[in-house]
Amino acid sequence: MSVCCFVVDDFQYFQDEGHTTTKEPSTRDASFFCLARCGTIRNDTKGILNMIQVQNLSKIFRKPIRGKGLVGMLATLFSRKYTEIRAVDDVSFDIMEGEIVGYIGSNGAGKSTTIKMMCGILTPTSGKVLIDDKEPYLKRRIVAKDIGVVFGQKSQLWWDIPLIESFKVLKEVYQVSDSDYEERIQFLSSVLGVDEFMNQPVRTLSLGQRMRADLAASMLHNPKILFLDEPTIGMDVLVKDKIRTAIHALNAKYHTTVVLTTHDMADIENLCSRIIMIEKGKIIYDGPLGNIKRRFGNIKTLTLTIPPSVDPNEVKPFSEDVMMELDEDHKDKVMLKFDADKVVLEHIIQYSFSQYHAIDMKITDISIEDVVKKILAQQEEEHE
Amino acid sequence: MRYVKLYLTCIKRSMMSRLEYKKDSIISILSFLISNACSLGSIFFILQAIPSLKGYTPAEVGFFYGFSMLPIALDHLFSDEFWLVAYRRVQLGDMDRHFLRPVPVIFQMFAETFQPDGFGEIIVGVTMITICGLNLQTSVSFGAIFVLIIGAIFGAIIITSFKIALSSLAFIFKKSGPLLQIVYNFTIYAKYPIAIYPQAIRFILIFILPFGLFISLPVDTLLYGSYNPYLLSLIIVGAAIAFFALATLIWTLCARRYESTGS
Repeated sequence: MSVCCFVVDDFQYFQDEGHTTTKEPSTRDASFFCLARCGTIRNDTKGILNMIQVQNLSKIFRKPIRGKGLVGMLATLFSRKYTEIRAVDDVSFDIMEGEIVGYIGSNGAGKSTTIKMMCGILTPTSGKVLIDDKEPYLKRRIVAKDIGVVFGQKSQLWWDIPLIESFKVLKEVYQVSDSDYEERIQFLSSVLGVDEFMNQPVRTLSLGQRMRADLAASMLHNPKILFLDEPTIGMDVLVKDKIRTAIHALNAKYHTTVVLTTHDMADIENLCSRIIMIEKGKIIYDGPLGNIKRRFGNIKTLTLTIPPSVDPNEVKPFSEDVMMELDEDHKDKVMLKFDADKVVLEHIIQYSFSQYHAIDMKITDISIEDVVKKILAQQEEEHE
Repeated sequence: MRYVKLYLTCIKRSMMSRLEYKKDSIISILSFLISNACSLGSIFFILQAIPSLKGYTPAEVGFFYGFSMLPIALDHLFSDEFWLVAYRRVQLGDMDRHFLRPVPVIFQMFAETFQPDGFGEIIVGVTMITICGLNLQTSVSFGAIFVLIIGAIFGAIIITSFKIALSSLAFIFKKSGPLLQIVYNFTIYAKYPIAIYPQAIRFILIFILPFGLFISLPVDTLLYGSYNPYLLSLIIVGAAIAFFALATLIWTLCARRYESTGS
């Protein structure tokens, strides 16, 4: 019991630090997981469990080649030509119990397809997935008890009945005992605030409320693994924060393994100790977030709006560390890309006002798409 | 036992969904009463206009018609969700959540909707059977009543089996509603004595789409003692078990092909 509390304390400490100082999550997370691992005292000698094993997993979708227009579509009816789309291509990785892993990539990279195979909705074309040593698409019902799934785009709740009634049905579906149910509802109310709209029909909930409700629904049966597909999509900052806190709290309290896909860099920095990056169905990176940051730095983009009187090409560059990019279509925009660990933000902002006479400015973190592009470019260089 | 409890919970949920929209509920109850009254009225109107059909008196034809509504209504009560599977749900990728729950997907389909409209059809059917039955000039045996009850209950299972098997084709073709509709429409032919049809259709209605097996043959047994009621009951029960087993097998095989949609 004391070990458990310690884990929670340590985690709290990590989180507080994360907000105030520059982050180096890889090392801190490692220590956190080390402690978390001590927390689970197991009878078996294997020690930590390999919760998810993905081995040479592939999914190929066969689609008929379609002609254009109505005539072409009609011709398709009689043709036997197919294209093969390799949505997931020979992917392998292991995820340990209690890890929070970000599964990221650009749109259409194969994230959702992998997740759907991991939770038993799709059957792989080849290779296999083991969830706690069981293949989800073969032993769907057994695996289903161990996993909770949230698809950001699709609600799992019943549309036109109050949330609490949906929960009651799920309680029966997952055979949650009364005492567990009470405890879980209390916990979820405290971390996600679902009690505020417990008696409202789901269709009347806002997007943020609905996502919190969906998240709570997926946690009711205390799954060993939580799959979250875009859990923060379309949420405002406050809701995002609530969701992240809840995921952390759940992970700390029940030691739940979490796999999440997201497009939000902040999600990854806040939550994930490890990221797996996929592009065109293949894994291009698997490792701690810290490594990525070390490789690409803490890159930020400062977008300036400048008056027409200023020619950005004539302004002396701030330093060698700052890359300037211009947009052909928007002559009044200047983008400065720099490593926030090497350049002092305050200085570059002052410089922008004094030298570029900036009217407006916006700071953005590096996007996942940028990171993917950079990794791919780097891998190509290594090949040559 | 667990599934009985779960089924009741889900049905309660389904009824709550229906009652959630007040005005909609009132309208649907009203339209339900009106449409059933109309169908009952129009059937009697037609029957009065027909002197006889291949030797069957109007009362006998009415009895056929009324009895045929019972298995159809029973199926309607419990398995309405399969229409949605066939027409929409697979195509929209709306089945994901069912594949994530530790309960057979096919069970969840039964538990997803309970269609009380079926009760109306039962009431109409029973009313017709009673009125026409009182006008029959035959003595009713226990065996005949037994085979009618078996025909209604296990006939419903056969209809449901067709719905399961054909709607599960949607997992492969994305949409199988039209096909299901064509097969389901064959129940219309089974509303009349199969003696009025040519040999080929009779064969189809007994051996391939056996709606005649559990509607026409039991009624003929009641009216004319054409068949041994207990043997016929056995055949109907056997057919129902075989069709249901085959249907669930087809469903299981097809469900593996479910592709969901991109998100």
